This record gives sequence, structure tokens and C-alpha cells, in this order.
Amino acid sequence: MQFKTFDILPHGTKFDFVGKRHIAVVLSLIVNLTVILWALPAIHGLNMGVDFAGGTEMEVKFAQPVDPAAIRQAVGDLDFKDASVQTYGAESDNAFLIRVGRIALMSPEDVKRVEEAVKAKFPVTSSSFNAEIGDKLDFQFSTPVVPSELQAVVEGAGVRVREVREEAGLTAGTKSFAVITQGIRDKVERDLATRFAAAKPEVRRVEYVGPAVGRELRNQGFLAVFYAMVLIVAYVGLRFDFRFSPGVIIAIIHDAIVTLGYFAFSGREFNLTSIAVILTVVGYSVNDTVVVYDRIRENHTKYKGKSLVDQVNLAINETLGRTFLTSFATALSLVGLLIFGVGTIFDFAFAMLIGIVSGTYSTWFIAAPMTVWLEERAARKRAAGAPAAAATK
Amino acid sequence: MEQSWYTRLALVVLVGLWSVWQLVPSWQYFRLPPEQRLGDAYDASVPGWAPSSKKHLNLGLDLQGGIHLAMGVDVDRAVKAKVARRADEMAEHLKSKGIAFTSAGPDATGLRIVVATSAPDQAEKEGLDFYGSELYSPVGAPAGQVLFAFKDQVLREFRGKAVEQAEKVIRNRVDKWGVSEPDIKRKANNQIQIQLPGFKDPEKAKDLLGRTAQLEFKICDDENPALDALRSQLAACPADRSGLTLPLPDGGCWTVETVDVPRLGQRQATMVVANKRPEVEQVIAQKILPLLDPNKNAVGIGETVVGQDVERRTYYRTYLLRAKTELTGDYIANAQPSVDNSGPGSGKPVVVFTMSPDGARLMEKLTTENMGRRMATVLDDKVETAPYIQGRISTSGQISMGSARDYNAMFEEANAIALVLKAGALPAPVTISEERSVGATLGPELVKKGTLAALVGLAAVLVFMALYYRGTGMVANVALVLNGLLVLAIMSMIGTTLTLPGIAGFVLTLGMAVDANVLINERIREEMRAGKTVKQAVQQGYARVFWTIVDSHVTTLVASVVLMNYGSGPVRGFAVALTIGLIASMFTSIVVTRVIMDFLTRDDSARLSV
Repeated sequence: MQFKTFDILPHGTKFDFVGKRHIAVVLSLIVNLTVILWALPAIHGLNMGVDFAGGTEMEVKFAQPVDPAAIRQAVGDLDFKDASVQTYGAESDNAFLIRVGRIALMSPEDVKRVEEAVKAKFPVTSSSFNAEIGDKLDFQFSTPVVPSELQAVVEGAGVRVREVREEAGLTAGTKSFAVITQGIRDKVERDLATRFAAAKPEVRRVEYVGPAVGRELRNQGFLAVFYAMVLIVAYVGLRFDFRFSPGVIIAIIHDAIVTLGYFAFSGREFNLTSIAVILTVVGYSVNDTVVVYDRIRENHTKYKGKSLVDQVNLAINETLGRTFLTSFATALSLVGLLIFGVGTIFDFAFAMLIGIVSGTYSTWFIAAPMTVWLEERAARKRAAGAPAAAATK
Repeated sequence: MEQSWYTRLALVVLVGLWSVWQLVPSWQYFRLPPEQRLGDAYDASVPGWAPSSKKHLNLGLDLQGGIHLAMGVDVDRAVKAKVARRADEMAEHLKSKGIAFTSAGPDATGLRIVVATSAPDQAEKEGLDFYGSELYSPVGAPAGQVLFAFKDQVLREFRGKAVEQAEKVIRNRVDKWGVSEPDIKRKANNQIQIQLPGFKDPEKAKDLLGRTAQLEFKICDDENPALDALRSQLAACPADRSGLTLPLPDGGCWTVETVDVPRLGQRQATMVVANKRPEVEQVIAQKILPLLDPNKNAVGIGETVVGQDVERRTYYRTYLLRAKTELTGDYIANAQPSVDNSGPGSGKPVVVFTMSPDGARLMEKLTTENMGRRMATVLDDKVETAPYIQGRISTSGQISMGSARDYNAMFEEANAIALVLKAGALPAPVTISEERSVGATLGPELVKKGTLAALVGLAAVLVFMALYYRGTGMVANVALVLNGLLVLAIMSMIGTTLTLPGIAGFVLTLGMAVDANVLINERIREEMRAGKTVKQAVQQGYARVFWTIVDSHVTTLVASVVLMNYGSGPVRGFAVALTIGLIASMFTSIVVTRVIMDFLTRDDSARLSV
């Protein structure tokens, strides 16, 4: 028989993974707790994207290089209070991401001023404005009004009007009008177009998410991660043994938190794609664990004489090569995304990479040793229970 | 070789050929410049032996530019408006019964009707008689007042219908713009999701979609022969005994319909039909309007759907209308599908509608004067239906659905018309709750970068496998390339939308597909170290690793399926790519590589580099 092999990792290693479990547990606990604490809004928090926080996000690209400080200054002058500007992609792209935490351009003061002006001129029965919906004022009048006059009054109060639209009245006899005023995108676009006319700004992408939708997406996102974990743990429990479940649970929570850590510490935007990465990491990191568990089960019948610690160590060492290589191969596929990806896609690839590394680590140092720890605990309980049972007899 | 090997080989070859065949439309699609992809040039470029030209990969909004909107329907306001209308009707009714009351209107919550009267008992009895199935009278009304509350189920129905109507209105408007392949879906929480690929102007989209519906009634001017002059200006539509030959020629053509005209009997009225609404609009502007007096006549556009499922085709037609708007939807109080239980039409679906008191007077006058003519209901500039006026209509009327068609189709239409009638009657303002728009220049750049990233990722994996495993690495690489083709083929077949995260998902599945081969190869190495022959090692390696591969794929599949249900838009594209990729990977890593490995190790003395 002839065959050629060359190994990156030597086979027949005898590394004592189980023995290192105490150090690993302490290390992982520190890392996980730090991430959780850091991600808490009270301490530092995640940089929630518009998907989750609600608000307006615009990607603006300039045809010529522009000083980022000048853009910041320009956006700052618009007086949004909660706006942020960051460069997007490579510096040579001249692209910027402008984020405003709200979706309505009008401030409460603007609204009040407009309402008072309209009330002074027309018989207003009621008016309403919802900052969570956008730049739209609803008026009800007891007598018909001329839309162009209404528009003139609103503009007289210093708010640019896009359209006045008559709507069906709520009750017979009343007249209902919606006044749609200039929005954030329009304002920013116009302002940048006049200030940086030479650099030809172009709004390439706008994302606008209402706060209510954002909250819902966020809650659903965390729920989705939770459901995926429950289903995966149930599957592993059914296919193997529910004794393995605690190890799997701890390992996937560990990997999810470490992946979250990328977003927490890098300050990169946490959005729908981030949830997708965490879900994928949760699903993928179990793969290695399954391979090792499979081997533990095989060794359990094969080496009956050996201690559990030895069986588990042997299982990890025997599968060391493939655990490493599978993770390495998957990580390799991300290379292109890491080189060419911009923004969300780069974050996707980088967070996935961290998740893959974490998944491999947690397989070796958390999931597998966990079974030993649980067995030892069960054995101690049995030992403690036996004399007690004998004593009561 | 064994019999089963040939069977498996045939399967693998067939899957490979199928994938290539399935990708022909997508290949043609992406070869064309973007502006030609939706035209006939693309349809013509797909050869006859290839799959239908509809089955190609679609680019998501993030890659081709376009607008994604989520609009919330203000159901509370719709319900309150409905209650206000009911209160008006209640007042009319009490007046007609001679019951004295000082006021009748919605209460502070806007969800109940409160009537202030000196004869509460009588008012309560009459009120409940009038809308007995919808209302109940809760206890605890102050002296001198009667309260009417709507049953929970009725309020729920009001809310549900408000969203349904809003969806219909939005669909009508989007159809009118001629956006290709718009996607409109109803979501949870009274939300409607709208995707307009290639649509550039988000402000315009928001303005047009945000308006409340306008419903009008107009009389069809079927006596007027003005349109007959078109017969010399346009081509006649090709037709056979079963009807028009579809699709119609580009630019539209004329045809006739037989209409009943009072006193004159039947006549052949000319109309223009075309495949697309803009074509009809163009004919109207250039050829029809010059023939008409704008003070007397207007032209409405209606939509006709023929056939079902794949055979389903839509065309647009003209209606010659009188210019005057006789009535608007504001006068309609309610409309619902029902079954006719009187006269010769008995047992057929109809739409029953009720007018408000003012509307009833106008409707009575209108129908008396125009008995036997057709009355068009126009919603948002689209003629929804044009039934003949068969009797005098005042407070309530019914619209019949024509004859001799299948019951379900008629009932469906009745339901649609009822919705349209109510859509005008019920203002359900919509507000934008989510907007994502991508400009036209960003998309192509992302497609380029995404493709490059995928190719680099694929190359990295291929090179690694070839270097590390040599022979078996090459086997895995063959499987990997086939895996990539298969994933794209399945995505084309089901018309998946390819998004930027979708490309990332695709790349990731290539990496994961290799995992299975690593597991197999490592196991084979192990078996060989244990002293087995190559053939035995391969057989046992595959046997032992089979369930491991299934397990590892299933756990990731669980996550991707959960994600598919959670995400929308680009993220959903990722989940779909990942799911299809994982399923394809199970096939290629277990079946495809095995066929090649079995062939390579057919003799006991075979050599293998793993």
C-alpha cells in the first residue's frame, strides 16, 4: 500500500485539552462578560444601525476628493443634533455615510410655529404631527381652504412644503389636509449640492426606518437567534445524547457572544446582516462540536478501560486536523469578501471569521471538556447520595 | 464497476447537464446590458431548447437599484372614519323613524356611537334593528343617552379590510406606472411592503403611494360612435373565434365589443387594446383625444385578465366615458360580496352596496336617467368594472357579475369590486415606515465587487484543496465547481433574488462544502493509517463520515431556515443562498466525490494521494 500525505498538523498529538479547561473557562468567562458589559447601553452599547435604532442613513459619494471635516461641518451646520458622518469604504472612494437619528426633519419647535401660523389664518378643528412617521402635518378644518393658501402660510412659518394634499374628512362637514414638508434626505442633498457643487455629490443609497419598525426588527432578530439555538440544541440532543446538550448550549452562546464582541469593540454598525452572521456562526460552530462528540461516542465503546478524561482528550486529538482544516477552509472562502467587501459585507466577513475561530476554540476547550465536568459532577452526586441513602435505611 | 456505480454516475452527469441547461437564461440575461434585460431582446436571445426565459437569476434591489418601501396603514383612523359614517347613517335612520334626538355621533374614543335623546329606549331599539348584526348596546350609558358599540369581530373586520383595501389601491397605482416586476406583499402589523426594482425617484413613489384612493362613478358613452374613426388609423387586432390573439401587437390595436344601448339595441363599439398601460395611454393622447370634445367625453382604461396561472395574460382596454363625474366614493357607506337570491339571476355572486343618505338621492337620479347604460366605477384612474344599470338604485344596489362563468371566479370578482367600492368609501391613510433606496450607480459596482470577491474566495479554496490533498483535493474541487453551478441553477429555477449578502452566502457555502470533503479525506487518511487498503479505506471513510456530514449540515440549515423566516430583502437573500448551498453541498460531497473516488480506487492495488 502506498499513499502520500503531508500534514499541516502532526497526527497522534497528545495535547491535554481537558486539563486546560479551568484556564479556558476563566478566560472565556472574562471575554464573554466583558463583551456583555461593553454591549450594555449603559456602559458603551452597540452601534445600532438604522435597521434597529430607526432613523435615516444616506450614502453620499463625491466625484472628487472632499475633506471629511468639511462634510462633518456641513452636516453639523444643518443642526440635526444627533447626526454622524463617517467615511465609507476606501479613502479614494470619497464616499461618506451620514446618519441622522430621527426621521422627521421638523423639530417640535417648527411644528408648533407652523401650527400657530395656520391656526391664526384658518378655522382649524384639529391638527396632528407624528415624529415617528415623518415630515407630514395633518390639519382638519371646519370650512374648506384653498391648498395654495395653506401652503403659503406654512412656508411663511419657515418650513419648505413639498405638497398639500386634500384627504377624505373624518366626519361629515370637516375638511382634511395633509401638508407634506421637506424631508431629511432632500435637505441634506440640497445643502451638499450647493456647498460642494464642484465635487458633484451623489446620494447613492438611502435607508430610512421608523423607530417602531426598528424596535420590532431588533426584537425579532434576537428571538430568531434564540429559536435557532433551541432548535440546534434539540437536534444535537436527539441525534446524540441529551448529556451532550449543556456543552453545545454553552459553546454556541459563547460563540454568539464572541461574534457580538466584534461589533461591540469595533464600533461597526450592528444591523440585520449582523444578526445573519450571528445566526450563521451559531449554526456553523456546532459542526466541529458534532465531529468531536461523534468521536467521543465512538471512543466510549472502543476504549472502555480508559477514563473519561482520556477518552475525551483522545477524541479531540484524533480529530484535531479536521477541526482545524474545516474551519480553515471555510475561513479561506471569506478572503475575497475581506479584500473587496465594503461596509456591511466586510463586517459580515470579519465577524464570520471571528465566529469561526471562536467556534473552533469552544469546541476544543469548552464543549468537549464540559462533558467531563458534567460526568464528574454526576459521579460526585451519586457518591454523596449513596452513603446518605444507606444511612437512612 | 458495480451496477450501482453506473446509476450514480448517470445521476451526477444528469445533474451537471441540468445545471448548465438551467443556467442558459441567466447567462443570456447577464450578458445583455441592464436596460435591455427586460425587453424582447432578452426573450429572443434565449434559445428554444432552454428553460423558459422567466427562469433567470434576479438581482436584488441592492444590486440593481430601486426602492423598497414599507407602508403602515393607519387602521385606527380608518376605523374611526367608518364609525363616523355609521353615526351619520344612524342619525338619518332615527330621523326617518320619527325619533327625537339632539345629537348622534362618535364618542370620545371614536369607536362608539352616542345618541343624545329624550327617548332612549326607542332609539336603542331602532338603532339595533338598523345594524343589529354589527352593534350592541353596552350598559352604563348616562341618562338621556344611548351608546352603540361595535362587536369586536366587526372592528377586527374593519381593520383587516382597511389593510386589504390599501394593498389593492397600492397595487393599482404601481401597475399604472409600468414598473417591471414590482413586488407587493402584506406583512404583519398592518404593514404593506413594496419593492420597485429600477425605480429611481423615492420621493415620487412616496407621494403617489401615500394618497388616499379616489373612487368615481361615470356613465359609459356607448352611443357615441366617435371612436369608430380609429378603425382607419390603427391596425385591427388579430383574433380568432375564441377571442383576441395574445400577446397583442406592440403599440396597441383596435377591436370591437358588443354593447347594449337603450332604444338602439345592440351596437359594435370600437375600443383600443394593448399589452401595456403606457401604450394605451399613448394611443389615447395621440389618436383618441383629438376625436373627442373634452367637455363631454373622457377615456377610461381598464384591465382584462384572461387565462390562469402560467397562461395568465393581462391586457389593457379603453372605455369611452362621459366626462362628468356623477358620484364619488365618499357617498358609499358599505359594500360586500353576496349571492343574488331573487329573480332570474338567482344563486349568482353579486356585490351589494349601501349608499349614504345624500348618495342615495344622487344615485337614484343617476340610475333613473341612465337605465340600461353601463356605469363605470373608476378607482385611481382605472376602470374597475362597468356593469349595466338594470334597475333603479337608491339606498342600496347590487352589481351583477355577467354570466356563464365559473362560480368561484365570479365570487372572487365580486369580492374585489366590493373592496374597490369600499376603498373609495373608507380613507385608510398610509404612512411610510421604512424606505431603502439604492441609486443606479451603486448597483453595478457592487455586482462587480461581489463577483470578484466570490471568485477570489473560490480560487483560494480550490488552490488549498489541490495543494494539500493533491489527487483527492482535485476530486473535491470537481465537486465544488459542480456545487457552485448547482446552487446557481436551483436559484435560477426558483427565480431567487440575488442580493449582496446573497453573494456572501454563496461564497460561504463553497467554504462549507469543502468541509465535508475535508472530513471525508481525513477519515480516509485515518483508515489508511490503521492499515486498510485504499479501497477499504475509501468505503469505510464514506460510511463512517456520512452521518457526521448530515449532522453538520443540518445544524447550519436550522440556522439558515430560521433566518429565512426572520429576514427580509438582502438578508433573506443570504439565507436563501445559504440554504440552497447547504442542500447542494450534501449532494456533491457525498454522491459526486464518491462516484469519482470509487472509480479511482476500483482495483485493490490502487494508489491515492490524500
